[in-house]
Amino acid sequence: MSDSIVRFNGVTKKFGDFRAVDDVSFEVRQGRIFGLLGPNGAGKTTSIRMLTYILKPDSGSITVFGIPAGPETQARLGYLPEERGLYKKMKVGEQLIYLARLRGLSRQDARERIRYWLERFGAYEWIGQEVGELSKGMQQKIQFVATISHDPDCLIFDEPFSGLDPINSEMLKDVILELRDAGKTIFFATHRMEQVEQLCDDIALFNKGQLILNGDLNQIRSSYGHNSIRLRFTGDSRFLSELKNVRVNNRSTNFAELRLLQDADDQAILREAQKYVRVQGFELVQPSIQEIFIDSVTREDRS
Amino acid sequence: MIHKEKLLLIIQREYLTRLKSKIFVVTTILAPVVMILLLVLPAIIQTMSGDRVRQFLVYDETGAVGQELVAGDSVYYQLTDADPDSLRQSLMRGEIEGYLVIPHELLDGKGSAVFYHGGTAGMTVTSRIRSDVQRVVRDIRLDRLDTPPEVRHILSERVQTENLTITAEGEEAADSDFYMVLGFIMGFIIYGAMFGYGAVIMRSVMEEKTSRIVEVIASSVRPFELLMGKVIGVAMLGLTQFILWALAGAVLIAVAGPVIALFLGAGPETAEAADAAADVAAFSIPAIGPMIWISFVLFFLLGFLIYSSLFAAVGSAVDQESDSQQLQLPIIMLIIIPLMFLFPVSDDPASTLSVTLSMIPFFAPILMPVRMAVLQIPIWQFGATVLLMILTFVVLMWMSARIYRTGILMYGKKASFRELWRWMREN
Repeated sequence: MSDSIVRFNGVTKKFGDFRAVDDVSFEVRQGRIFGLLGPNGAGKTTSIRMLTYILKPDSGSITVFGIPAGPETQARLGYLPEERGLYKKMKVGEQLIYLARLRGLSRQDARERIRYWLERFGAYEWIGQEVGELSKGMQQKIQFVATISHDPDCLIFDEPFSGLDPINSEMLKDVILELRDAGKTIFFATHRMEQVEQLCDDIALFNKGQLILNGDLNQIRSSYGHNSIRLRFTGDSRFLSELKNVRVNNRSTNFAELRLLQDADDQAILREAQKYVRVQGFELVQPSIQEIFIDSVTREDRS
Repeated sequence: MIHKEKLLLIIQREYLTRLKSKIFVVTTILAPVVMILLLVLPAIIQTMSGDRVRQFLVYDETGAVGQELVAGDSVYYQLTDADPDSLRQSLMRGEIEGYLVIPHELLDGKGSAVFYHGGTAGMTVTSRIRSDVQRVVRDIRLDRLDTPPEVRHILSERVQTENLTITAEGEEAADSDFYMVLGFIMGFIIYGAMFGYGAVIMRSVMEEKTSRIVEVIASSVRPFELLMGKVIGVAMLGLTQFILWALAGAVLIAVAGPVIALFLGAGPETAEAADAAADVAAFSIPAIGPMIWISFVLFFLLGFLIYSSLFAAVGSAVDQESDSQQLQLPIIMLIIIPLMFLFPVSDDPASTLSVTLSMIPFFAPILMPVRMAVLQIPIWQFGATVLLMILTFVVLMWMSARIYRTGILMYGKKASFRELWRWMREN
């Protein structure tokens, strides 16, 4: 595809005998939000570090904007690592200018962009303060500004919402969508599935260093069909364990997500449920991303 | 391969943030202040302790020595008729501080004067009494022999011996004591600087690692560029500090003599101290040749580069300072070993041992300036040592950079030597 921004081609990275990333190939298209999913230790961060040219792959190739990952591609990427960090003793303004200039911006351009983004986040008044004096939430905003201030074409966010309060999360989500609409490509790694459903256009599922599922999120979900049930009820939830031919996800005291296995009859399950509890809601839906993930991982492990 | 603008940016940041830091300002100001205090304090203390009136009784069997002593200083010495036994009692009761017994045969060149005290006399008192008695007895005996003044003059004269080294270019005066001390001071300053600035590098690497900023930086520049920028920035900081100190030192030497004299004022008590002050002033007279300065700066820089690359590797391998001790140990040993050879090397700077040790790149930063201060070393030794040090730095930097680029991304565990070795060999 001509509009692919990032391309992994048979990429492998080993640490000693451990294959952190194992023969992985995928593409990220321009203007899309690409979700890199997987449990902790699946190889997400290692993949990102190779994409940002912090690490080099042992084999395979990575191209960004059509050229091999390297110092030139670094300047066009914006990277927000999972483990946030800034120079504590440096002032907000100096620090942001320094980081932007390391990515090739002139001092003047850096100053203007930083001013714009700090004002956007309501953080301009902190410009002369040392980062260490700011609260965690404020530091997160500063780091976000540091990630986008050099106007990169592709943004890489590793668990961007971790540690953010709901208001800042919402703000960040808006900015991410806005950046996407402005034609930026967003590369987004997380193990929090609900965020993926809200934001991502495409996904890649990682497990134990391998890519087990990749493609357009909506296509993937519709390929699974309407084979899940959302059940709301009042009463004793113990009956859920007795149900046959279903797998129970996300159970709580008055809610459950059920996945129909084989050719289980949804109406039979409804009748069965009514024997034990008062059913308040019963809906046939596409599987959640969590369900798809579990399904893919278990199928992978079986084969 | 190295991106020059990025490297310059890093150097600039490393240099400027430290230059503006409190610790730099404080150490830069405090070090000369401490030196001034070290120079001036003894003089002040001496003046202050002079306030206490000290008096010693003299039991004189010669009938001459005592009088002369009292004539010299009637406060310090006082004649007594009390016999030694009762003096002893008085001393034990604490009524007197001490007493001096001069036996009559002393003027015949036999026996010895005995100074009794309660253990409170101290070195200044005993040495003063010794020299007073010696002077008085000598004068009396010379008087009795009608010695002509010319002979007395000869006896009291000090004969000077001058040390001169002859170089290939001709004759050159050298005050070897002065240069030996100078070499020592330089060796110690370089030692302290390598330790101090090495620790700065290590902490800086560790700080970037623990604050996790390093991942953001590493996504913009090569780890090698970051490491080089850091090392160069801190080296410049060290040079800046040296230059500031050198300026302060020049001012200090210019004013030290007068300042001490000012503190001391007049008075017999402080005559010796005034002499000492004059000595201090005289001490600055031998010129420190440009070669010594150049070698000092050069060996500081090369030593710093060699050791900072090692310290950086250690910093990248640990998460907190307390974990670094085991890994630092070999580095500390390498820095301390040359200190143990400071004396033998400055004592015999041309011996095979001295030449060999001073040419080992790890020891050269301390031992070479010491040798170069004392003697003019053959140019091949200088050249070979500098070359060896540069080579060592390049190799170590290459190794450290490989450890560093892996270490900065490894969180939550302390690496062993075996792991460092593995990181180094990784592609």
